[in-house]
Amino acid sequence: MTANNHSDHQYVMETHDLDIYYGSFKAVTDVNMKVERNKVTAIIGPSGCGKSTLLRAFNRMNELYAGTSIKGQVMFYGEDIYARDVDPVEVRYRIGMVFQKPNPFPKSIYENIAWTARIHGYKGKMDELVEGALKQAALWDEVKDKLHQSGLSLSGGQQQRLCIARAISIKPEVILMDEPASALDPIATLKIEELMQELKKQYTIVIVTHNMQQAARASDYTAMMMLSGEGERSGTVIEFDVTNRIFTNPKDKRTEDYVTGRFG
Amino acid sequence: MVRKTFESEIQQVKDDVLILGSMVEKALLDSVEALKKRDIKAAEKLFLEDREINKKRFEIENHLMVLIATQQPMAHDLRLLASCMEIISELERMGDYAKGISNINIRMGDIPLLKPLIDVPRMAQKGVDMLHRSLTAFVNEDVETAQSLPVEDDEVDALYNQIYRELMTFVIADPKTIERANWLLWVAHNLERFADRVTNICERTVFIVTGEMTEIKSTDDEFWEQRKHEE
Amino acid sequence: MKEKMVVQGFADNVDARNRKAMIWHVLFQASTIVGIIALIALMLNIINGAFGYVAYEARVDPDTLAVDGTSIEDQSKEQLVSLLQATLSRGAYNTLDKAKSFADRSREEVYQLVVERIVKPQVVQVWNLWQSLTQADAIRATVAQDHPEAELEFVSWLNADFVRRPQTSESLTAGVRTAILGSLWTILFTILLAFPIGVGAAIYLEEYASDNWLNRIIQTNINNLAGVPSIIYGILGLAIFVRTLEPLTSGEVFGLVDPSTANGRTVLSAGLTLGLLVLPIIIINAQEAIRAVPRSLRNASFGVGATKWQTVWSHVLPTALPGILTGTILAVSRAIGETAPLVVVGASTAISFDPNSPFSKFTTLPIQIYQWTSRPQDEFRSLAAAAILVLLVLLLSLNASAILIRNRFSRRM
Repeated sequence: MTANNHSDHQYVMETHDLDIYYGSFKAVTDVNMKVERNKVTAIIGPSGCGKSTLLRAFNRMNELYAGTSIKGQVMFYGEDIYARDVDPVEVRYRIGMVFQKPNPFPKSIYENIAWTARIHGYKGKMDELVEGALKQAALWDEVKDKLHQSGLSLSGGQQQRLCIARAISIKPEVILMDEPASALDPIATLKIEELMQELKKQYTIVIVTHNMQQAARASDYTAMMMLSGEGERSGTVIEFDVTNRIFTNPKDKRTEDYVTGRFG
Repeated sequence: MVRKTFESEIQQVKDDVLILGSMVEKALLDSVEALKKRDIKAAEKLFLEDREINKKRFEIENHLMVLIATQQPMAHDLRLLASCMEIISELERMGDYAKGISNINIRMGDIPLLKPLIDVPRMAQKGVDMLHRSLTAFVNEDVETAQSLPVEDDEVDALYNQIYRELMTFVIADPKTIERANWLLWVAHNLERFADRVTNICERTVFIVTGEMTEIKSTDDEFWEQRKHEE
Repeated sequence: MKEKMVVQGFADNVDARNRKAMIWHVLFQASTIVGIIALIALMLNIINGAFGYVAYEARVDPDTLAVDGTSIEDQSKEQLVSLLQATLSRGAYNTLDKAKSFADRSREEVYQLVVERIVKPQVVQVWNLWQSLTQADAIRATVAQDHPEAELEFVSWLNADFVRRPQTSESLTAGVRTAILGSLWTILFTILLAFPIGVGAAIYLEEYASDNWLNRIIQTNINNLAGVPSIIYGILGLAIFVRTLEPLTSGEVFGLVDPSTANGRTVLSAGLTLGLLVLPIIIINAQEAIRAVPRSLRNASFGVGATKWQTVWSHVLPTALPGILTGTILAVSRAIGETAPLVVVGASTAISFDPNSPFSKFTTLPIQIYQWTSRPQDEFRSLAAAAILVLLVLLLSLNASAILIRNRFSRRM
């Protein structure tokens, strides 16, 4: 993948007619959406409609599940990340991911970030890199005196911020977040949301959430997904718009039903 | 049924708005009637009853705030509750107009009316009728009625102009009648504003249903727009 | 609850359910107790055999061999060697010297030879611990009556010398050192072969192999191999390691042939055979351990752009290591106790020299025990009991050290 100066691109990622299959089962149908730079794009929808599947397709993490395949394209700065000559490892380097349940490595806080940087060939001052990443993730003050304690000794919210620090330590372009706050208490959740607003100045964020208020509070754009794709249980994006519109005056009645809580 | 509690809460709010509306309608008609009969006692009573209207308005407002905070309304529900806030504010101001008429009645004291009231009651009746239909349209979310109602404000405006010309004639003929003419003009002015506010209620009803907040123009506005164009 | 509150349609059966639960509880406890009793009975039996009175007659009274008041037990190696030279025939002496020169033998070994060839104690009778403790006087009376020439001694068959002395055919001075060292050498090669291959195979099967019919067949076969009787591995080892690969296992290829064997029946063959035996166990356990590593950890690693190998090496393996080590412990415990395959592969029945290279002859503890129990004389049963205790101690200490290692690894996580 080329590393151009991308300041002229407004859209970091785009999907073209994206279908996602588990074996022969079509889980996601015909998604066309654009992810704008330095903005938070949320994907919402009822459980099981394919939000996480769609998100995983953005950095080829779906390939870790046997039998998945896609049709269509996922473009990153104009290059199809599923092209034959593209290495998924490099894709995940540029497009990072934070998961629902915080999963720091069973290493020290310092090593969590240092290992990540090292495998990507970082040879500079590691202490500075670690400090920088932890500061950006709003975790530095809480852990600066215990960098060599295990990452697992932190609270849930802190662990998740550690995972965010780890992801941003290698300076990706995009950060994908799969329900990052759903396993956390309300205060920790709000901290993560605040963090996203800070992070979006430097990164582009795509977040899957089932918490509508979170999507309304924290995102700039929202994609509404539903099981309205081809076949019985296939998900698709039924509406994509500026967040304010989705929540004050959505165009599609199904979106309206969902956001007002009258769905199902 | 999803959100049963919320639905019944919304229904209750709508009912309360209707109650507030009928309180305002009654206040207006009664205050004009009291003025016609020069019943000072009734006017005093009506003056104080405005407090009930204010109280009811704040009750509804509190209820709305609790709903907004706890039920996290979105889209249509959000527009509905936000519009209710506006509408009860309008109704409260309309109640103030009725109170104003009673106020004039009291301040006139023993002084007789300049002329018997004919157009004033007609304005009041028309305004109350418009209010009633606008609130019905609001409760039923009837966009068509809401969009076609404001034009009837022209009738009220026409009556106002007529009263104005008539009173001017009186004053030109006998300048000493200016105070009494002023009072009557003020009453007519209140009634004219009363009908204007109905337009706002209609606009809110349209907003609830369509999500678009547009001003429904009266012929007056169109007249001014035309003039500006011509300049 | 003083008042019984029973809802319409349901029965008041809390007491009945508790009773039933108690019955099962008691049954489970009983089965545990039965197991413990069996274990205690076994242990007592062994301990019983390992201590007791011995009546023996020496052909030559050791006291007569004392030089300047120093009994033979305290004499130096040179004194003992000269004693042997003086007493034995020239031929016998030279044979011993050629088998292993006296210069190389330790003092213990020479002492044993003195006892074996000159003193030649004959065991008359042996009593076990229980008898020795309860019927001490009766025993003394019997001995005084029937065997007036005999010495009566309370012997702890399991003592420090027992462990230090090499194997001999002489019961009173026999030791298990040869056998212990043989076991340890064998286990070393077992682990060297089975651990890397086993763990590597497990990593491949769990992380890299795709789920096709070939790999499923391989998996099934590995599971089956774990249950194959060990003697079959012995036969396999005999055919492949001892015979076919004789140049390799005898050391010919390396020019390090043990002069007394010059064939494939070496420690190396034994180690390799046992290695094959425990390989399936290690693979299966390692697979379980790797499978138990949570998916979230792998996701985290892949999510930051690590390759599969980086994920396995830096995250999966360290997390699975305690489990893998547990599996290895199990395998080693199994291997130490194996007798039948090593008999087939050719454990020597009578060697007194410690193994000192992969290409030496060997014997192991279980084989030693087996041999002693098949001798008719009573005293060898006592020796066997003592050897069993040594084996148990060895096993327990190996297990304990492996558990310690495992705990240290898990604590670090």
